Amino acid sequence: MTTSESAVQIPKPPHLLFRMERAELLKLRKSLGVWVPTAILTVGVIVIMYTAVELFHVSNSTKYGPAGGTVNFERALFLMGQIAGMIAAALVGAAAGTHDLSSNVFRDLVSTGRSRTRLYLARIPGGLAMLLPFMAVAYALAAVLSVVLAGGLATPSVTLFVKAGLYVLFSASVVYVIALGLGSLVGSRAATISILIAYLLPVQAILRNITVLGRARDGLLSVAVERISPLPPPDPHDAVSMPLTTSLIVLVIWVAVFGGLGLWRTQKRDA
Amino acid sequence: MATQSEYVIETEGLKKSFGEQVAVDGVDLRVPRGSAFGYLGPNGAGKTTLIRVLLGLTRPSAGTMRVLGRPMPKERSQALTHVGAIVEEPGFHKHLSGRENLWVAAAAREPTAHMRIDKVLEQVGLADRADDRVSTYSQGMRQRLGIARCLLSDPELLILDEPTNGLDPGGIQEFRGLVRAWIAEGRTLVLSSHLLDEVEKICDHVAIVDRGKIVAQGTLSELSTGDDGAITIGCDEPHKALAAVDGAGSLREVEETAGGLRVLVKPDASLEKVAAELNTRLVAAGIAVHRLEPSHVSLEHRFLEITRRLGENS
Repeated sequence: MTTSESAVQIPKPPHLLFRMERAELLKLRKSLGVWVPTAILTVGVIVIMYTAVELFHVSNSTKYGPAGGTVNFERALFLMGQIAGMIAAALVGAAAGTHDLSSNVFRDLVSTGRSRTRLYLARIPGGLAMLLPFMAVAYALAAVLSVVLAGGLATPSVTLFVKAGLYVLFSASVVYVIALGLGSLVGSRAATISILIAYLLPVQAILRNITVLGRARDGLLSVAVERISPLPPPDPHDAVSMPLTTSLIVLVIWVAVFGGLGLWRTQKRDA
Repeated sequence: MATQSEYVIETEGLKKSFGEQVAVDGVDLRVPRGSAFGYLGPNGAGKTTLIRVLLGLTRPSAGTMRVLGRPMPKERSQALTHVGAIVEEPGFHKHLSGRENLWVAAAAREPTAHMRIDKVLEQVGLADRADDRVSTYSQGMRQRLGIARCLLSDPELLILDEPTNGLDPGGIQEFRGLVRAWIAEGRTLVLSSHLLDEVEKICDHVAIVDRGKIVAQGTLSELSTGDDGAITIGCDEPHKALAAVDGAGSLREVEETAGGLRVLVKPDASLEKVAAELNTRLVAAGIAVHRLEPSHVSLEHRFLEITRRLGENS
């Protein structure tokens, strides 16, 4: 048994490009606790929604319309962009922000001398490479079913398909980076998921209905995400409206604040 | 720039505090290149904290340090590229296989690390289980996987914190063989341990640490058989003898035992001359001396001395 290993410089093979990002993807992809809920909250939710509506339609076509068409596509988009898709993004982001800490691998990674900033930044494309394919499949399924099951209903236009697709991927990416930053800051996956779900669902809904907050509600994540959606607001009377530019600025601030806090904590944390 | 220094680790006045608690207290450490260096101390002496500071896992409160000739933390990235380390129990992603964990570890290292994965798995005897999930590994197997991970970067310097924890006797034997091979290849090993036997069997240089401070440092032979000696005195009336030797020169510590006294002598003093002086004093005090035995303090005595004092103070 020898331990010798030559110090010969071996050229970097092409398949080793983006090694750190691929390593992040590997950690997430192989975790049942990450990909199963992600699949359910993206593809699963769309399958369930269209299956349920179509079953209603088949059982009583006079009372219930077809499962496809623009109306149901908009519902699917709402689910993906503002509820289930956001939770999926939060789950993946929280896992990406905390898995090295919880498994004690962070210490080894830091002791290699690799910059902590680089370690942190690799988690962004690595986690998105896990999340966005699920979002894309769920979206593609919704788009196909909205046409296939349309019956006599109007189908979405090509423009709406493109805008909606970009919206779904963009909103998921925003929530992912926020979750990644919060996870890296807090260090606990459970705490991160709890905080985000509490904020994304009840807290945010309560805050946007407190009229005394006025324009301050523009800073809510859901309000900004809703504004970039290609869909009309579900309830026009309840909506807090703002210009598109403002909503984009709000989203950039959310990403910058949480992404920055996560990076700062990663740099300063004792390993 | 790195210089081919005689020492792979040099620290000066290195200090690390956690609030009021001082874990590393003004450590001046010099680890010679190519040595197997034991960092020996009881649990809680600050061994792991020093390693964490050296690896940039936590910031020092004061002092300077150089690793492989490079100032830390200024040139941390370049210095640590050629360092392999295990700090406490090695952590892994348990849902990944051993090979996948090494792939993840290699991704943070230089590109050539990927080419060594199969080889290091062979070296630590995990090739057959490489594709099993780490959650199915025993503690000893995880320890070996940790050693494999250390070797991924083909390190000049290996820093291992309690590396034989969890290894069975066969594994410990195998580990010692590996270490000897590393040293023969010109690598340097820093082994932190509270196990004297382990350090004596593996290392040629030793530093003994106590409550964050280095109390002795040198080659194993210097520390085991150096001039720093002891004199065992067998006599009547040990209590009276204690008073008689009080004030004698070159004494570091005098301890009353059941059959007499045990005297520790300062390193710069001649053991024989001190023995003669003590004998004169005891005889002059009318104490019958039936044994006067100068001996050298072994590493074990040094270490026991420290741990016993800790026990008394706790």
